[in-house]
Amino acid sequence: MNYKPDEGTLIAYHYGELDAAESKKVMEYLNEHPEELKHLQQLAGVSNVMKQVRDKEVIAPTIFGVGPDKQVHFWRSSNFKTIMSIAASFILILVAARLIGPEITYSSGELRISFNDSKKMEQPAQSLLTPVEVQEMITSSLHQNNEVIAAGWEENQKKINQSMKTSFAVNSYKIDELMKVTSQASQDQVGTFVASLQADNLKLMKDYLKLSSTEQKAYVEALLVDFSKYLQEQRKQDFQVFQTRMSSIEKNTDQFKQETEQILATIISNPDATIRKVNNY
Amino acid sequence: MAETLPTIAMMHSDTLIARAREGDKNAQGKLVQMWYKRIYNFGFKFFFDHDLAMEVAQKTFISMHRNIDGLQEPTRFKSWLYTIAVNYCREELRKRKATRSVSLHDLRPGESEESYRWEASSSRSENPEKQLRQSELSDLLQQCLMELSDEQREVVIMKEYEGLKFREIAEALNISENTVKSRMYYGLDGLKKILESKNFTKETIGYEL
Repeated sequence: MNYKPDEGTLIAYHYGELDAAESKKVMEYLNEHPEELKHLQQLAGVSNVMKQVRDKEVIAPTIFGVGPDKQVHFWRSSNFKTIMSIAASFILILVAARLIGPEITYSSGELRISFNDSKKMEQPAQSLLTPVEVQEMITSSLHQNNEVIAAGWEENQKKINQSMKTSFAVNSYKIDELMKVTSQASQDQVGTFVASLQADNLKLMKDYLKLSSTEQKAYVEALLVDFSKYLQEQRKQDFQVFQTRMSSIEKNTDQFKQETEQILATIISNPDATIRKVNNY
Repeated sequence: MAETLPTIAMMHSDTLIARAREGDKNAQGKLVQMWYKRIYNFGFKFFFDHDLAMEVAQKTFISMHRNIDGLQEPTRFKSWLYTIAVNYCREELRKRKATRSVSLHDLRPGESEESYRWEASSSRSENPEKQLRQSELSDLLQQCLMELSDEQREVVIMKEYEGLKFREIAEALNISENTVKSRMYYGLDGLKKILESKNFTKETIGYEL
């Protein structure tokens, strides 16, 4: 016998969910395979053990109303209320229309709704004018408009000119007054400024002169000292020059004296040679 | 799974579901009363967290109220309701993974003053010592369940505790029936290894593995 049930079949056999034929085949297989039977019995034991897990008691909350059903009358249903609301609104409109007397007219693309209106709408006058007349009317109207605009512009121009003149006069007078005040104020300020400037200059010149005289005095003194030193130096140099020249003259005199003595000695010692030389000349 | 036969019969009451689809508030309220505990316990076993289970249960029934008129086949109400619950469980799981917050309840589950443990009215008449031992065992096994992958855990919970058929689980998770069976098989196999690693023996829990 080659029949071998799978795990699913074995577990279905354990829970009794196989048909009779399949169950018989599994039973025969298990009788022939005691190890499979033992394993299945162990699983059955586990199943029995796990049944020891008890259910927990719990109180179901009252989520829904469990009382007797209330009969809902058709006039309380939402559909009925909606329909009745629409009908009531329509009746109300009809009553109001009856009381107010509405009139709805449509003519020449115009929809007119009126309430209790006894007046008939006046029909607009039909157009009897030709295009030329219309053109003339437009031209004359434009001409009149131009004249009115020109007159208005001229009048405005006059008003503006007059206003400008008045404004210029007033402003020039104000400016003159302002200039006078300004010039007067300027003369006073210039006088004050010049006076202060002169005082400053005078003070400055005095200070300068004071300073200058002192410096000049010192300079002159220094100059005098230097000049005296110069004179002394010059005197000294002149004296030295004089001494040198005197020495030179004395030396030349001595030399000339010695030469003269030598000449006289020569002449004295050899009168014949001297005579001959004199004769040769 | 302490529901009585009349209650189970009510759960499958096509009439009640049909009335709820037509907007009957009374029928919707009865559906909530009947299924709230199941959805809450599904969420609790999935998260092992009271607050998250409450969040999932409330969102599931709000969604049921809004969308029940779009339910085409009343016979698929059960798998449809678990589909909503699973989707909200996955959404909360994504949020929790994104924020990585740790609930105080996770640190010491079941020990707060308002603990659901003391609301176990069905076991109040039992011996307190036995009740305490049972509660501890339940928490330990719940911790083992949390070690499974999310996909295996949701299948194991739906099959073991919610009693859905493989076809209903496949519809709720929008996967094939064979995939559901495979996940169930390997989920139980994984639980067997987890229990063995934690030394759950015949002496400790009274069953042979």
